[in-house]
Amino acid sequence: MAALARLMAVGFIVLSVIYVCLSLYSRAVRKGKLRAEWEEGAQDQPLDAFMEEGLAEYDKSLRRKLILSVYVIPLILVSVVVYLTNFA
Amino acid sequence: MFSFIRWTFWISVWVLVASVFHYTLPQVDIVRVTDTYEKRIDPGENSLFWAQADVGFDGTLANRDVFFIQTRRVDGDVMVYRNEDTGWGWPPYFKFDTSNLQAEASDLRSTEAAARYVAIKHYGWRNEFLTIFPNAISVRAVDGPDASKGIPWLNILILTLFAAVTYGVWVRWRRFRMARIDPTMEAIEDDLVEASGAVTSWFGSLRRKS
Repeated sequence: MAALARLMAVGFIVLSVIYVCLSLYSRAVRKGKLRAEWEEGAQDQPLDAFMEEGLAEYDKSLRRKLILSVYVIPLILVSVVVYLTNFA
Repeated sequence: MFSFIRWTFWISVWVLVASVFHYTLPQVDIVRVTDTYEKRIDPGENSLFWAQADVGFDGTLANRDVFFIQTRRVDGDVMVYRNEDTGWGWPPYFKFDTSNLQAEASDLRSTEAAARYVAIKHYGWRNEFLTIFPNAISVRAVDGPDASKGIPWLNILILTLFAAVTYGVWVRWRRFRMARIDPTMEAIEDDLVEASGAVTSWFGSLRRKS
């Protein structure tokens, strides 16, 4: 079980690094898009308020939750490989 | 001189990368299983090329028994495979069914007179000088010595992904270097040329005086 624990610990750390980087990147992309949208739009709202609203919407969106698949996909992959190697 | 060092460095890196893939990725051999046995082994200098005790056992003991599968390949050469759990470690085959595989391999034994061929999937290298053996992953009976090994989809996928990632990193690094590092280096070189020009002309002035 020590080997499994080590795999899970290392995997969790590596995947967490990827998760954090991807989250920050995705949020930055959304910010850029919101700014472009504001500049093209009617500008009836101050930029700060518009960005805040847009990012709050993003925080609730499915796209942000999809980044959790960074953890889910390797888990599924490992399960499939375990099945194919040992039981197929 | 510098380009020689650079070439040596990059060739070594790529040979190392290629060796890791060649060792780790699965390959298929068409063989005839002649015997199976188990032997006590005490890994020493070659311990890098051996796995660890089966999952669940005490992994701290220095020596243990390992299953082996003796075979003869279609071209007549012999090949001996070890049969060990990779468990949760590297390489990530997640193999736990070592004893079952040994039972299957024993069942598929055959003599030269009544040959029965099997496809044995394995990773690793056989090297007599290090006493290392490829690790068998699975066996299945095939029709004959000319049976197809199948298309290695997994290897194609992994190598393609690796090539794509490497190319992506390389392109970004090159762009970064052209934008940030090269102009700075050129500025330094220009300064050096100017400075060395000044030094040469100073020496020249000495020469003229004498």
